[in-house]
Amino acid sequence: MPPEAPSPTSEDERYETFVSRFAHYEPDLRRFIRSLLPTWTDTDEVLQQTAIVIWRKFEQYDPATNFMKWACVIARFEALAYRRKMARDRLVFREDVLELMADEGIEEVDHRRHEHEALEACLHAMPEKQRQFLTLAYTPGVKVKEMAEEAGSSAASFYMRLKRLRRQLMECMETKTDHTQATS
Amino acid sequence: MSFSFSQLPTKEQDWLDAYLDGTISADDFAALQDRLLESPALRSVMRRYLSLDNTLQNEGADSGLKSEMATAPWLSVDTQDTEVAPAKVVFFPGLLKLAVAAALAFFLGTMVMYFGSPQGDAFPDRVRADEPSAQGFAVIERLFDVDWKAGENSREEGEMLGREVFRLASGVAEIQFFSGATMIVEGPAEIALKSAWEASCLEGAVRMKVPPAARGFKLQAPATEIIDLGTEFGLVVKDGEGHVEVIDGEIAVRHRDEGEKLLVKDDALTLRPDAAAAKIGSGTVAFPDLTSYGARSENKNRSDFQRWESHRDLLAADDRLIAYYTFDEDRSTPLVPNLTVPRNTELDGATILAEPVAGRWPGLKSALEFRRPGARVRVNIPGEFPAFTFMAWVRIDSLDRWYSALFMGDGYETGEPHWQIRDDGTMMLSVMVDDSRPNPKKADDAGFHRVYFSPPMWDLSMSGEWLHLVSVFDPGSRMVSHYVNGSQISQQEIEDDFFIDELRIGNAELGNWGQPFREDPTFAIRNLNGRMDEMAIFKVALSGDEITRLFEASRTDRR
Repeated sequence: MPPEAPSPTSEDERYETFVSRFAHYEPDLRRFIRSLLPTWTDTDEVLQQTAIVIWRKFEQYDPATNFMKWACVIARFEALAYRRKMARDRLVFREDVLELMADEGIEEVDHRRHEHEALEACLHAMPEKQRQFLTLAYTPGVKVKEMAEEAGSSAASFYMRLKRLRRQLMECMETKTDHTQATS
Repeated sequence: MSFSFSQLPTKEQDWLDAYLDGTISADDFAALQDRLLESPALRSVMRRYLSLDNTLQNEGADSGLKSEMATAPWLSVDTQDTEVAPAKVVFFPGLLKLAVAAALAFFLGTMVMYFGSPQGDAFPDRVRADEPSAQGFAVIERLFDVDWKAGENSREEGEMLGREVFRLASGVAEIQFFSGATMIVEGPAEIALKSAWEASCLEGAVRMKVPPAARGFKLQAPATEIIDLGTEFGLVVKDGEGHVEVIDGEIAVRHRDEGEKLLVKDDALTLRPDAAAAKIGSGTVAFPDLTSYGARSENKNRSDFQRWESHRDLLAADDRLIAYYTFDEDRSTPLVPNLTVPRNTELDGATILAEPVAGRWPGLKSALEFRRPGARVRVNIPGEFPAFTFMAWVRIDSLDRWYSALFMGDGYETGEPHWQIRDDGTMMLSVMVDDSRPNPKKADDAGFHRVYFSPPMWDLSMSGEWLHLVSVFDPGSRMVSHYVNGSQISQQEIEDDFFIDELRIGNAELGNWGQPFREDPTFAIRNLNGRMDEMAIFKVALSGDEITRLFEASRTDRR
């Protein structure tokens, strides 16, 4: 006897479970995907695509296993598919590089979360104006090059400053997470 | 063991920055990739660095600058920043437009400051004035009959204000400072907002109301500083000349190098930058008065709304309607009633996660907001129809999703419609022509269909604006057309291959597409980041004239 078709309610419930679980892991998943692709936009697109595939396969997911790993495997596959589509873009990783980055990245999801928390603290501790500068440099729609030129400065000196602040944060983040990383 | 960024060779560090900035050369990128295959250290650091970049990108996209004030030498122009009360930071996540505009203005300002300027000290006033901090310290409480100066972004009630020049062409705005002071400004006006405790009136008429908690609020006028010692005063600045008058309470005035003067109720002064402050009689200047504006605006609002209500009742009786929702009934039930006459409750919608919010006439009409990813209204509309006209009043906050849904058939099966907006602001209407037949252009697509696109009709500058959107699928004339605010923006022919005139809806959603049951490769999270306060579906193709009339009959000045 064939299984009963799911009632609308259980279908709804399943969807709500999916949404809540996905929403919970979305930041982790985004970080993972970001480490494989050149830009924020690419990351967004693959994240979207991954969400759909996860939803489509959600029935197959075994709740006893690690959702994030399962999701990362799907994301890895979607990133590779995307790479094939975008292969002409000059900043897209070669397939072997992307695979290697993904396989190692899957194991680092927890590190990433710790680092992210540390980074939030570093950002918080940063002088306000520096943080504003960084945040605004990363605001969508703000074209770094044009703005630098419009302000009568070279893009190069702007990038220098951006680079310096970013590295400063990296150092702060690394210092803060050093001990947590040693444990795993 | 883990490697730190600084342990990498300098060359590799530079590659990573260049990669993030998108400035890496093709040769270096090839070298970077070769090196990545060899070096676990580089791979590990690069993932970490990309994750950091991701966080910054998130921060940028969120745009709010989230913590307490601190000063940094590179940007500081004065020390007043430290006076800004840090505790109150209010976020209005929907206001992306403001955020981007503020970011750009801020960015330009800071760039000039950081890199210096040949004019030296000649510019700081302007830069300071143009520098809206995302660290807000005031909020636009109410607006009445406002018009914005050309080239300025329009503002909305509830928007946060920071260090910036607030410019008003006409009308009245009520600004609430976080110190507790209230400013009522009448345009044309230019007010430089400096902190929760200080502002400068460059032009315009202002009425300040200062409660005890905000005593000491400073307002600058030409060559003058006015310190409110409690209650209420008015200031008009025109052509560089000021008039100040105490309406109630007491103020201290410092004009040029003259000593401090105390003014009490009914005292008034003329303030010229080139002359001593001169006493004048009270009542010679009119200061903005909110009560008359408020009443006028409310009346207008109410009559607009009533006009719409009668229009709604007429429309509900139109027998060409399939379904009609206005999201405006009882909030205690999750049901969205279908208003068509005679009433057919079978077509009532069910709200899931969508939240009731203010509609086009705040306080009078509500709307549904589909901000949360799972938000939607589910409907089930049986029957077969010869044509479709979809009409909705929609306020888009931003197009976050690749596709933002307006009205979507669940399974996208033969004859079912998809009405949505792409992230570039393009309206899309499609009807599945044959779901069993592959799409020749895209093998992995849902089935044989064609999407009819409009040109982009929306960009971020329209965030928060109410729009009247209509799309028509008309097998009779073999045309698909899109309308915005009553005007046609595109029309395309339905070719023979894509002809279908047996249209259906069945299970469907407003504001999202949550349930792609079938093997559909497209995107599942399609909630509309915005509001909808009216949606009508017709089983006929309305003519252009009718659509214009519908728009005119249901529009509002606050659109």
